[in-house]
Amino acid sequence: MSEDAVPPVPTSRARKSGISDLAKAEERLAYMLLLPTLIVIFVIAFYPLGSVFYNSMTDRRFASAQEPQFIGLQNYANLLGITVRQVPAEIDEETGEIVRDPDTGEIDYESPVTVLPREPRRYRELRTFNLGDTRYVVGAADPDFIRAIWDTVAFTVVTVALETILGLGIALVVNSEFKGRGMMRVVMLVPWAIPTAVSSRMWEWMFKDTRAGFFNILFQDLGLGTGQIPFLVDQSWQLPAMIAIDVWKTTPFMALLLLAGLQLIPGDLYEAADVDGAGRLRQFWSVTLPLLRPTISVALVFRTLDAIRVFDVFQIVLQKKRYSMATYAYYELIDGQLMGYSSAASVVIFFIILLFAVVYIRMLGVSND
Amino acid sequence: MTKDTQILITRILFWLVIIVIAVYLLFPFYWAINSSLKSEAQLQMTPGTYLPRSPSDGSLDVYLRNYSAVFQNQRFITGLKNSVIVAVSTTVLSLVIGSFAAFALGKLRFRGKEPSLYLILSMTMFPQVAVLAGLYAVIRRLGLDPIPSMILSYMLFTLPFTTWVMTSFFEGLPTELMQSAQVDGATPFQTFYMILLPLTLPALVTTGLLAFINAWNEYLFALTFTTIAPQARTVPVAIALFTGQVSFQEPFGEIMAAAIVVTVPLLVLVLIFQQKIVAGLTAGAVKG
Repeated sequence: MSEDAVPPVPTSRARKSGISDLAKAEERLAYMLLLPTLIVIFVIAFYPLGSVFYNSMTDRRFASAQEPQFIGLQNYANLLGITVRQVPAEIDEETGEIVRDPDTGEIDYESPVTVLPREPRRYRELRTFNLGDTRYVVGAADPDFIRAIWDTVAFTVVTVALETILGLGIALVVNSEFKGRGMMRVVMLVPWAIPTAVSSRMWEWMFKDTRAGFFNILFQDLGLGTGQIPFLVDQSWQLPAMIAIDVWKTTPFMALLLLAGLQLIPGDLYEAADVDGAGRLRQFWSVTLPLLRPTISVALVFRTLDAIRVFDVFQIVLQKKRYSMATYAYYELIDGQLMGYSSAASVVIFFIILLFAVVYIRMLGVSND
Repeated sequence: MTKDTQILITRILFWLVIIVIAVYLLFPFYWAINSSLKSEAQLQMTPGTYLPRSPSDGSLDVYLRNYSAVFQNQRFITGLKNSVIVAVSTTVLSLVIGSFAAFALGKLRFRGKEPSLYLILSMTMFPQVAVLAGLYAVIRRLGLDPIPSMILSYMLFTLPFTTWVMTSFFEGLPTELMQSAQVDGATPFQTFYMILLPLTLPALVTTGLLAFINAWNEYLFALTFTTIAPQARTVPVAIALFTGQVSFQEPFGEIMAAAIVVTVPLLVLVLIFQQKIVAGLTAGAVKG
């Protein structure tokens, strides 16, 4: 208000000529045009991210009248708390000797629960493993979340690797001249265009635990399984099932990116290689792959950052049977009403994604030299 | 082996590979169509059939009632309507706001341009789940209804994307165009909407299409923000939570029919705009 009255201080730059007035007007226009975008980004990204960081250090609950308490890093300690303890063998009280199974001669161990700490937070068994004759137990304060991190990372590594290999194969095939290439491109867009919610349910049905489900029919025809494999309940099948769904859905996207990269490689390079007598395989290793590397890198970054935050497939097909990091944060928020705890899980996801992004960018930066 | 037979074998192998790829990509879709044309009894047949067959004599027996059930399912119809509203509004808003920003970033000179570009680029990879709780709180604070909430929050992924792609299109337009317009006395904003915007129409269509598809398919925010408001659910949520009109069991015949109904419009879009979509999808990636 009162600032309006103050005459603008003429800077030496503005005085120089009319051009800088124009430049100033241009700059002002630029800021005005950027403003709406910046406001939206602030409201839906930065402010919420800030509040997630803040809430992650409180015990805030949803729809609760209670004033949230600041609890420092306790949520994180609970989410990430992990410990390894030795499990003692069972000792016979009379003889003082180690108890062995009478049939197999294997050592009987105490229950792992007895060695896991209970204060200040209770640890539960994540898994046990043996080193020689000594048994150890890995305990976690929140085994579900630790398992979710592990599962999500495993899911990410396997899906991205499979997608890259399959995608590259498809791209190479579709890149050659043949009748119906246009059709093939449309076919490639089909899995990509289908909403993940829809494709998840399609696959859920294909994974049905009777021979009404496609995979049980297929496996039995191949002489595998009883035709009753509970793919989505059996612990060892759950992740492979998730991976199969995601690979089907996103390989075409990968293939399209790589195809675009392939088409940028000038044809005369191959002609030259032909003249030099290089075989197809040699051409692939010495021409195609090196020239495609930037595209592959970008595609890898996109897909990896996408796979780590996987939500739809896990939430729709597995619900609470098995978590990805994102579904875990979701269920803690919506079902558990634990806003603070869920926020802490979100922050962990954020940093894991950031970590992957930084590692990738480092790698890309090196490869660009 | 003569050269001709060698060529023939390579050809056959090549086509085999093509067929394997096509079958792999299309089969789940085919299985869904197949299942959507089966009655509950046909669905429970073991082993399941590759075509809808009658349980008694194995003759071809197509059952269409899943589709009529889907179109009578009020939740599904409401879901379709909500999805259209949300996806269209998100797309239009992102295109308008995004092309303003893109014009500034692509054609104007100002201080702070580089950081702004980096900001937009990093936002295109922003993980939605990281802000879930915070965004929910913002929406409650603003007192927004579920539908506007979805429109606003979807801009988290559509706006940076449209801005980024449009920026590169604006950059590609010749600067002389702007200069000559300025000589003719047009203000920069007039240059923007009278000369540059019409030229970027193809780019707007491409980015708009991709933004639309992304918004149409979004699930996490839609699920979260409609937890207590079932009447605002979009199609992906409706399908994920689909319950039949009658049976207590999960009605997979109807779910598959609903899946097909939702997918077909997208496939039509893909058929019509396939080249644009491919161009848009790969625009950011190939330049590196």
